[in-house]
Amino acid sequence: MILPAYPPVKPEKILQLRLHNLDYAAGRGYALCAMAPQVQPPTAPSGSEQEYQHGFHDPEHYVFKSGKGLTREIVERISSMKQEPEWMRDFRLNAYELFMSKPMPSWGDTALLSEIDFADLHYFVKSTDGPERNWDDVPDDIKRTFDRLGIPEAERKFLSGVSAQYESEVVYHSVREDLERAGVLFCDMDTAVKLHPEIIRKYLSTVIPPGDNKFAALNSAVWSGGSFVYVPKGVEVKMPLQAYFRINAENMGQFERTLIIADEGAKVHYIEGCTAPKFSTASLHSAVVELIALDGSSIRYTTIQNWYRNIFNLVTKRAIAKRNATVEWVDGNIGSRLTMKYPAIYLMGEGARGEILSMAFAGEGQHQDAGAKVIHAAPNTTSVVTNKSVVAHGGKTTYRGLVEIYPGAVGAKARVRCDALIMDDQSSSDTKPTMKIHEQRSTVEHEASVSKIGEEQLFYAMSRGLTEADATAMIVNGFFDFFIKELPMEYAVELNRLVKMEMEGSVG
Amino acid sequence: MSRVVARVSEIVPGTTRAVNVDGVDILLCNAGGAIYAIEDLCTHDGSPLDQGTLDGACVICPRHGATFDVRTGEALTLPAVLPVPTFAVTIEGDDVVLDL
Ligand code: FES
Repeated sequence: MILPAYPPVKPEKILQLRLHNLDYAAGRGYALCAMAPQVQPPTAPSGSEQEYQHGFHDPEHYVFKSGKGLTREIVERISSMKQEPEWMRDFRLNAYELFMSKPMPSWGDTALLSEIDFADLHYFVKSTDGPERNWDDVPDDIKRTFDRLGIPEAERKFLSGVSAQYESEVVYHSVREDLERAGVLFCDMDTAVKLHPEIIRKYLSTVIPPGDNKFAALNSAVWSGGSFVYVPKGVEVKMPLQAYFRINAENMGQFERTLIIADEGAKVHYIEGCTAPKFSTASLHSAVVELIALDGSSIRYTTIQNWYRNIFNLVTKRAIAKRNATVEWVDGNIGSRLTMKYPAIYLMGEGARGEILSMAFAGEGQHQDAGAKVIHAAPNTTSVVTNKSVVAHGGKTTYRGLVEIYPGAVGAKARVRCDALIMDDQSSSDTKPTMKIHEQRSTVEHEASVSKIGEEQLFYAMSRGLTEADATAMIVNGFFDFFIKELPMEYAVELNRLVKMEMEGSVG
Repeated sequence: MSRVVARVSEIVPGTTRAVNVDGVDILLCNAGGAIYAIEDLCTHDGSPLDQGTLDGACVICPRHGATFDVRTGEALTLPAVLPVPTFAVTIEGDDVVLDL
């Protein structure tokens, strides 16, 4: 579908963004570990198991694994094993009731969604007895997995903090001392419930209540792990904080819960990268991420989602930006079977600013149903949404977006741009934007395009000596350039490589 | 204009009662013995609030879980952004009287 053309986005805007991010782009202080170790790109056709570079699968070795299916008793057991206070147990049990009573979404890819068998999942796996700060204490099989991902080496050299999540618990965690001295709190959520209950009780679920949707309710009932970050007033965290998530156990749901609070004038960049080893039956990943940017603060949250292609990735991510605060979601979706993810920003204070940059790739058997939501609830708020997607080998992408301008949000400005590139006739792409504008004195721009990769472009690149795969990858990388430029160096390298792998033999 | 809309004894503490006054849906909430009145309509997406839960002085929307303070109407959590309208309540004997 091609929507009517609106005035184009000026190139200066993109330039501005890049300049704005020079600090990050320099690669200084970034974890080389953020992506998996280099392996030879396989030559097997896209969609085959061989191509999945993170597909090693360690033998399962767990301290505790709950039975399949979800009951009130399992929720109680999770809470008691974690030795949680009563208020958290009640929070979980209330959410469990909501989960049981809420219907599945009646929109989106309902055919795929109906394949999720909640009774066939494990809801909790505990892999060690608690977080470890010393690498030597981490159990060997877990360590081997992280070694393959390169985490410890890079952590020592580059990271300002790592939460490496293996299964449901964070097993390894370290926070650099100067951050601690500045009063920055960075730990896994389980620890935060014990150490900082006053902050958790004040903010948890104020952005995404358990009753928001069925999957937020599920997460609230069985959540385990995830990160907690609190940056005190006026503190600027120069280097990004990182977390690494993996799923290993077959049929395991993973439900991490992340809460990031930037107090007045604070600044933080948080990066979450995902890979998962291969396994054959469907697994569910359903995270909840809440960002709270108080007056004048700034939060950037970068994710590259590269789950294996049997995983349902149904995530609720939402941010609140108060007066003059900035929130940026940088969101890449490459893996999973079905992703439904619409990072949202509620601009609640005058002068708040939101930006959502997202890219999606869908290959054989994949549906990336991703998008962005921006709610302007205060005057002079601004937002920019840029979404680009590529489909190949019969994949499907959907852009689902919402821009809402509340009455009184005078001077609000919103700009949405989404572009899709289709690689072959078997693949499809959909754009479903929604605009709800209740304030006349505001500006909303929307442009969307869907195009097919051009034979001429390809022919030209190939006439310069590139193979068809290289030429395709070059064109696709150019298409994703806006996004890749925003990433720390090692993520950018990894993403370029993934795109190339995905593109092998994709032009038909 | 004042109007008797319910009996105090019908609304035990911790419960709510929906009434319709001149076409306006109103939710009476007994929060710990004090009765408050709010419009029975979630400001997020229009769900009636009477099927939701009353927890202390907070009513939670059944649809997406937004929480409102019934004393002030304030939206305490997303996805609601705007406050829900409130109405002044006076108690006369066993009568709940609304000022409309
Ligand atoms: S309709 Fe009440 S929270 Fe959405």
